[in-house]
Amino acid sequence: MRLDPLLDLFRGRAITIPPLDGALRPNTALDAAPVFDGLAAPDNLSWLDGRLVCSSGATVLALQAGQRLPLAEFPAEVTALSVSPAGALVVATDDGRLSEGGQAVPLPGGVACITALAHGPDGTLWLANGSRHHPASGWVADLMERGASGAVWRRRPGAGWEQVAGGLAWPNGLLPGTAGCIVSEAWRHRLIRLESGRLDPVLLHLPGYPARLCPAAEGGAWLAVFAPRTRLIEFVLQETRYRHDMMAEVPRDYWIAPALASGRSFLEPLQCGGIRTMGVHKAWSPSRSYGLVVRLGPDMAPVASLHSRANGQRHGVTSVHETDGRLYIAAKGGDAVLEVTA
Amino acid sequence: MHFRERLQAWRYNLIPDHVIGELLQKRWIDNAIPFLALVIVVAGFGSAIPGFFNPASLQDSTRQLGEFTLVVIGLTVVMLGGGIDLSVGSIFALGCFAAVACFFLFHLPTGVAFLAALGVGVLFGAANGYLVGYLRLRAFITTLVTFIIGRAIYDILVVSFGARVQLSDAQSDLWDFIGDGTLLGMSVSVLAALALAVVTHVVLTRARPGWHVLAVGGSRRSAHNAGIRVRRTVFLTYVFSGACAGAAGFLIATRLSGAGPGTGQGLEILALTAAVVGGNSLGGGRGSVVKGIMGAVIVLVMTNGLIRLGYGTGTNQMVLGLLLAAAVTIDIRWLKNRHKVLNEVYVAPVYLRMGETQSAAPGSGTPYALNNRLAEAEAIGLGDLEGPEDVILDRDDHLYCGTRHGEIVRFFAPDYTRSEVFAHVGGFPLGLAFDRAGNLLSCVGAMGLYRISPDRRVTRLSAETRRSWTSIQDDARLRDPNDLDIAPDGKVYFTDSTKRYDAHDWALDSIENRATGRLLVYDPATGRTRTLLDGYRYTNGVTLAHDNRSVLFCESWACRIHRYWLDGPKAGTAECLIRDMPGYPDNINRASDGTYWMAWLGMRTPSFDLSLRHPGMRRRMARRLPQDEWLFPNINTGGVVKFNDRGEILQTFGDLTGTAHPMVTSMREHKGYLYIGGILNNRIGRYRIEGADPTWTANDAYWGRP
Repeated sequence: MRLDPLLDLFRGRAITIPPLDGALRPNTALDAAPVFDGLAAPDNLSWLDGRLVCSSGATVLALQAGQRLPLAEFPAEVTALSVSPAGALVVATDDGRLSEGGQAVPLPGGVACITALAHGPDGTLWLANGSRHHPASGWVADLMERGASGAVWRRRPGAGWEQVAGGLAWPNGLLPGTAGCIVSEAWRHRLIRLESGRLDPVLLHLPGYPARLCPAAEGGAWLAVFAPRTRLIEFVLQETRYRHDMMAEVPRDYWIAPALASGRSFLEPLQCGGIRTMGVHKAWSPSRSYGLVVRLGPDMAPVASLHSRANGQRHGVTSVHETDGRLYIAAKGGDAVLEVTA
Repeated sequence: MHFRERLQAWRYNLIPDHVIGELLQKRWIDNAIPFLALVIVVAGFGSAIPGFFNPASLQDSTRQLGEFTLVVIGLTVVMLGGGIDLSVGSIFALGCFAAVACFFLFHLPTGVAFLAALGVGVLFGAANGYLVGYLRLRAFITTLVTFIIGRAIYDILVVSFGARVQLSDAQSDLWDFIGDGTLLGMSVSVLAALALAVVTHVVLTRARPGWHVLAVGGSRRSAHNAGIRVRRTVFLTYVFSGACAGAAGFLIATRLSGAGPGTGQGLEILALTAAVVGGNSLGGGRGSVVKGIMGAVIVLVMTNGLIRLGYGTGTNQMVLGLLLAAAVTIDIRWLKNRHKVLNEVYVAPVYLRMGETQSAAPGSGTPYALNNRLAEAEAIGLGDLEGPEDVILDRDDHLYCGTRHGEIVRFFAPDYTRSEVFAHVGGFPLGLAFDRAGNLLSCVGAMGLYRISPDRRVTRLSAETRRSWTSIQDDARLRDPNDLDIAPDGKVYFTDSTKRYDAHDWALDSIENRATGRLLVYDPATGRTRTLLDGYRYTNGVTLAHDNRSVLFCESWACRIHRYWLDGPKAGTAECLIRDMPGYPDNINRASDGTYWMAWLGMRTPSFDLSLRHPGMRRRMARRLPQDEWLFPNINTGGVVKFNDRGEILQTFGDLTGTAHPMVTSMREHKGYLYIGGILNNRIGRYRIEGADPTWTANDAYWGRP
């Protein structure tokens, strides 16, 4: 109605989130997918020497045929990893350090929250720093503070670190190309392209918080969406007083905030639709966690998706990797690495 | 507490926001806008025109008003039935002429003149009614035709006989009295209008024909399906309208003692405007006589006032037209948006700071620590049952429970695999209890307190208590009777959880958190129900203490157990026995070892507890998010807790997996087993209690061994 903008002053703006429709229509593909490895909290996937590499907690492992081979152990949780064209393992940890082939790499000031690493075709190392104020494990606090202090850095071969973009709301995934890099900006629910000093939106209005990107063999990319947007969370993000009190008084696990997994404690918030009725937890119910992998076409528009819905288990997908027609999916909240045909 | 928080507490606990929602639910709230208009019009013209309120002027105006009101009441009834009557003006004129002709030309008595006027009205009304009701022609066109024909006949008659009327010497005291006299300071026409208004109002609101008219106007098809004779009802509304117009014609005949060419001209527009401005819906089904009268006053005061202020007919007509347009617009917008507004404003949360609680997390080492033991319970009726809120066993070990379909289902001992519908009550049967004679008593959500005899006869015991003085919504009605227990003297102690929400919306009450729960007692000796306590946050489970000297009841949203003393020095008062539990208590029942079982329907979550201190946030949430997105207490995890008379927690059972018994609303100990119900569950659980007396049954404990 035309009077709505006027009435909004009194009642507040309507809170809407993009519907899961079209290419994002829900299915149960993630719950139906076979488990490649039941690793606890698998995070970043990569490929090294013909084997899948995966971080889990403070360890980086190689996974092959049901075997887990530890490659490296760190004092803090691994937050991102990448394999250089030369085969060196670059690993970032939650204590704000970066190591390349076992050697510590000096970082520019303010970079201590590395959420994603990626090597470009020319060997450039791209780095996403989620926030200046929180470590990577403190992502939920950064979201609830409506943080926008993230940055993307790069290191050209033989050169030093150089900031490509700043003021980003938790850059969380990188897809370097020949000229620039596509970045997933989680708190703004979008993908952006950083190229020759410019920032262009590529994909807007995602129904969840995007995580890491990985190139697809047939062009385009795979996008992991690690948590859903819900109207209650969007509402709480607008409710400043309540949100600040919540952050001050409520343990972080029980905030009204997105999560990698949910329903594990009775202290977590519950929404009306999530009430278990006659033994059924409804698939459509609003949930703090969700499993979603989106296939993006060459123009970065969604063409297909894999889901684990509110009543599913394979939630909190943070990373995907495609190799040889196989797609590996790390469901961090669901404690499993899945394998499907790409 | 911060100053800001204290301010919030004052703002939301002292200002009664919920009143707006309750007012909007009232049917009479439709009258608010016309009433406001009435006050403005009367006050406006009263102050603009000197002498507006002096008795002589008022007497003349009211005489006119009486006649006009008669016509408007008739038209209102037609509109309520879904029709429209444009011919009232010409019927009015013809009625007037009939009376004048009888009296002056034929020298008949006044009574016959009245009957003639009435007869003409009925005749024309019947013609309208026959065409519209039985032949189902369009009301608008049909009455327009009768209007034109009636007017034409009248004009011919007036031209032919007008002069002879003037010359007549007919005289009658009665005629003059009706036209000029007053009774108790009021003119006959006002008295007639008042009498007709009262009768019509009573018939419309209290009697079958009136209800039929409203039903037909509301929905012809539904009325037909309900067995109402739609055509006859429509027919009768037009006859009634015609009769009213005829009677009004008689009154003007006595007042003016003649009939001129202008009589009743434009009356149909005035009457229609009055009816609509008063708030009667053009679509039918919604409206009242009072609205018609308000509209009549508004329109008459306005037209007369404008004339006395020196405005011409054109201005007058213009104002009427604008008034009509405004009224129709408001009517439509109001009708369309009222329920939306109501939905948005009904939930009016209050401030509450919940007390610190001990953890119920497994392994926390507190007495409340939950476990997974209920997951082991064997399932009864899995897949067949829906919503067994409470469960109970009789002396033959058969198991009874209510369902959300309004049935009491009985499972047969010993294996509880066979079941039957024991009785159909309707509503949502919640708490259950057996009395001394073996009758099953149940608190039925949305209905009241019911008794089901062993031969399955269902009797209502109570559906209301005394209304409180300050209530806007009728709180005499039991809205959410929840649990009960029976004292040795036969008195039934039971709870009515909330005055604000219906039984199926019980969980919404937690969002609002307003303290409107009651503890009631039904006395079978007198058949009366009395309110013992009021103002608790969702009173729920009730049980008599083992010594029968007090009643234990719980206050769900405050996570408390209270004791109400029946006997002793504190008789008639309540005190808190357990406070600040980590779960929301539901039913309470006796245990075999002299202690009590309580069910937890859900668990407190820190985020919801915090939201209780932010009523503004909850209010905005209720307005801006659809209900499925609202933050709720965690009612996906419940449990069973054992406590004693001193309020000490002895034992807990939970189902943290949530697969078998996520929400527990009741439990009943019987011969060493615990039977577990859940209002949103699809089974009854049967759990063997270690160390419980395998012979103990509640029936023996309450009523002795047979």
